[in-house]
Amino acid sequence: MPERITFKSLNKVQRSCVFSNLDTLEYKRALDLQISTLNAKIDNPSEPDRVFYLEHPEVYTLGRRGGRENLTVSEDFLSSRGIEIVQTDRGGNITFHGPGQAVLYPIINLEQAGIGVADFVHGMEEIMKLTVLDFGITADRDPKNHGLWVGRKKIGSVGISIKKNISIHGLALNVCPDLTPFSWINPCGLENVAMTSIAMEKGMDTTKDEVNKDLMNRVCHLFCHHFSKIFNISIIRE
Amino acid sequence: MKEISDLNFPEDVKYTKDHEWSKSCGDIVTIGLSDYAQDQLGEIVFVELPEVGDSFSQGDEFGSVESVKAVSEVYIPISGEIVGINEDLEDAPELVNEDCYEGGWIIKIKPEDPSQLDDLMDKAAYLNMLKG
Repeated sequence: MPERITFKSLNKVQRSCVFSNLDTLEYKRALDLQISTLNAKIDNPSEPDRVFYLEHPEVYTLGRRGGRENLTVSEDFLSSRGIEIVQTDRGGNITFHGPGQAVLYPIINLEQAGIGVADFVHGMEEIMKLTVLDFGITADRDPKNHGLWVGRKKIGSVGISIKKNISIHGLALNVCPDLTPFSWINPCGLENVAMTSIAMEKGMDTTKDEVNKDLMNRVCHLFCHHFSKIFNISIIRE
Repeated sequence: MKEISDLNFPEDVKYTKDHEWSKSCGDIVTIGLSDYAQDQLGEIVFVELPEVGDSFSQGDEFGSVESVKAVSEVYIPISGEIVGINEDLEDAPELVNEDCYEGGWIIKIKPEDPSQLDDLMDKAAYLNMLKG
């Protein structure tokens, strides 16, 4: 268990959550799904916690406090590439999502689970850290700039929002995406940040769809495993 | 996270299940986040405040606090009109962590119905809720 996570109430009852692999889902549809899941849990606290695993088609998302100023190309240019910019209410600044990036959205009542917000963010980073370690990649958190880093290159990001003690949004880990669109922003508001991915670190060929699909499936299994261990929540696969 | 016994819960404020506190002084009520809430959130980097003159009903979201990479909504304990906001938090949001009951207060309101304060928890009831 990560050093700072001391969930006091976890010994009472082991909680469970329903895990769904949604494959590829457009960002706004995934956001609608998260919000409807959240609202269902607010209306009926016995609704289960849920975790969604997915990839998005190419999209930029802004944090609650924005991030449009960290675009380094024009919005017309992005429009010409068919890439939308979506305002969200999560923490953090601008980021990019696209195919080959593994995204995890836990819709969890943190108070019932006995997990503090800071510990939840820390735990999400730990899930990514242990996942890349399973590929033989050593990565770590940076106390100043959250997310997950391989040396000075960023490989994963976290941004969440809490409503009535329930989390939405989550984490994004670069598995085998085209990293070019990250060069059109200052990711998370940080200038001169280089991005990396599991495939880049391991020198994998990302031109074969089958290989990429196997990689994404492997990451899905690892996310499940590490999520369950770190937060002591058992997984029910849907 | 700290143990509950290591956190500070003054006797002279009332608490909500969402971890806000309210303190009445004359016809004004001051509102902030409890020591438990700030400890759970971790280092607070931004506080989104309402405007003076805004009105909210009990339980409405009136703003948010952003700790590192996480935005959490905050809810008003009783209905009323905003008559003061803590402008110090714009430059020093960490006051909510460092001094949540004094320098880290968030808003002051003129309550619509002061008797709503009676519905909130005293220290003993709040501690019972936290201990589950």
